[in-house]
Amino acid sequence: MRTQHAGRYGILVAVLALAVGLLVSACATSPEVGQAQPSGVGATAPGTPPPGAVREAPAAPPRVAEEPVRQPGGVREQPVTPGAPPPAGAPLEDVYFDFDKTILRDDAKASLNRNVAWLKSNAGAKITMEGHADERGTNEYNLALGDRRAKAVQEYLVAAGIKADRVRTISYGEERPFVLGHDDSAWRWNRRGHFVIQK
Amino acid sequence: MRRVRGRALRAAGVGLLVLLGGAAAQAQRYEVEIQKEVFQRIPLAVAGFAPLPDTNPGADLATVVRSVLAADLDFTGLIEVIDPTFLPVDIRQLKPGDQAGVLPTLALFKVQGLLVGSLERRGTELALEGHVYDVERGTAIVARRYLGDATTAVRQIAHRLADEIVFRYTGERGVAQTRIAYVGARNGARELYVMDYDGHNPVLLTGNRSINLSPRWSPDGRLLAYTSYRDGNPDLFVLNYQTGGRTKLSALPGLNISPAWSPDGEWVALSLSKDGGTNIHLMRKDGSGLRALTTGSGISVSPTFSPNGRQVAFTSDRGGSPQIYAIDLEGTNLRRLTFQGDYNSSPRWSPRGDKIAFVSNLSGRFQITLMNPDGSEVQTLTSEGRNEDPAWSRDGRHLAFSSTRTGRREIFVMRADGSAPRQLTRTGDNFAPDWSP
Repeated sequence: MRTQHAGRYGILVAVLALAVGLLVSACATSPEVGQAQPSGVGATAPGTPPPGAVREAPAAPPRVAEEPVRQPGGVREQPVTPGAPPPAGAPLEDVYFDFDKTILRDDAKASLNRNVAWLKSNAGAKITMEGHADERGTNEYNLALGDRRAKAVQEYLVAAGIKADRVRTISYGEERPFVLGHDDSAWRWNRRGHFVIQK
Repeated sequence: MRRVRGRALRAAGVGLLVLLGGAAAQAQRYEVEIQKEVFQRIPLAVAGFAPLPDTNPGADLATVVRSVLAADLDFTGLIEVIDPTFLPVDIRQLKPGDQAGVLPTLALFKVQGLLVGSLERRGTELALEGHVYDVERGTAIVARRYLGDATTAVRQIAHRLADEIVFRYTGERGVAQTRIAYVGARNGARELYVMDYDGHNPVLLTGNRSINLSPRWSPDGRLLAYTSYRDGNPDLFVLNYQTGGRTKLSALPGLNISPAWSPDGEWVALSLSKDGGTNIHLMRKDGSGLRALTTGSGISVSPTFSPNGRQVAFTSDRGGSPQIYAIDLEGTNLRRLTFQGDYNSSPRWSPRGDKIAFVSNLSGRFQITLMNPDGSEVQTLTSEGRNEDPAWSRDGRHLAFSSTRTGRREIFVMRADGSAPRQLTRTGDNFAPDWSP
């Protein structure tokens, strides 16, 4: 089946991306990293050169400052069986959304009800609710979409009796896809609310 | 296209010979063809540059400089660069001062300008002397010499001469010395880069292996506003491009995203989600004076100022789907601009004020589209692949954008009428270009 092939291809891409990612991040410097180069161009002079022509000060190159290395943005790889949800980061289940929608589907509410039960029996646990979007649509709009998805989940949990201060929200828009791929076999898993238990 | 022109010129050359022989009718036909083709562009012949005497094979600076110049001039869409090999006179190694003999022949071919240049090595520096002659009058329109480091500034020297030539012919500043900031996705991170407007010299601006998005040049080109997750939340930063210094402009709970500079550079519009909905806010460039421009529980993102600074266009889903709206800076006169389709986003007001570029979802494909600021005259510019992130050049003649037309997402530029698309990046997943002033 075509979708299965696409799904398996997506897995392959994800695995390869991870492998390449590990390799490259092992190197100190990415080959992409260019050095800022001074590129001062001397001032104009008429056709015949006047001696001691005034040169403009070379444009100061942008200093490339290295920031502390953090790794919140790594693409995570998870094996996916097409047609079945990715194994959730137990014990909390992720929820999935329709394209450009932020309302909770029935399957999402069922997952959230189980999550609520877990949160009630683990009263000390705090969670981060990540809102995500698929790659379609513009990046900035998708950030806002992910924000609203995360808040929709947060509101549902609060309405079910979970204290608001136990649920932090953050949106990653389309910038941290769960499954790599360019069709609905990937997109359906990337429009999600992802639960992370705060440590 | 160039091929065709070359053939037309060669054919015209033959035609002229025939004309001398007496077959006037045929020559006239070819002449009409030439005039039709060059009607709007200024035909400028670019002579070949003599190689430097100490040139190593494979590092021929003369070839580099000449090709950069020709590409810059051609890119404008205002100048038609005539290849020397299309002409019956040999200008492949013409030196400044030797042009008088060839001008009459060029005049016969309706060439309006002749660029003659020479290079000279001065220590570690390279000197480029460029002369443009008006073919008809024989006078020099441009006579300039530029100096720069012979290893790092070769292309910059050529860009500078190109901009000077464009200015002399059009009265407008060229864009050959501008840069494009963009986001490159690398190993799951999104880093900011900047490159020359022609895709050369990419330089990494961030290096935090986090998510960095939405670079926006300040109107004076000194600052770049952008969103970064480096501290765990999408906060708004400002990078001083000259010193490399960074300041955090806005780090309110939730989103601090999609910055836009006011035309006077004093204000930044951005989207905040601190109050539940995502709304456009304004703050001074030092972070003070925060106030909301839009309100409500919906989404309002991607603001863009009109050139006079009095209006802001943005994307909002308040009507049920993402559409483009405009509002006066006082928060009044809110109006919807787009009505076609169910997804219109990422508006960018042109520097001339006459158009708004945006992304429109046309039957499942996202395309770069133009409209008048009142929403009329909608015109789609792209067709292949998924095309997003339009950004104007400062002269309003070109648009940078991202496209998946070659497979991976890459940065492209094209003329504002959608013609002459040119791919700038080839390293894979690059997006969100912003063109420097």
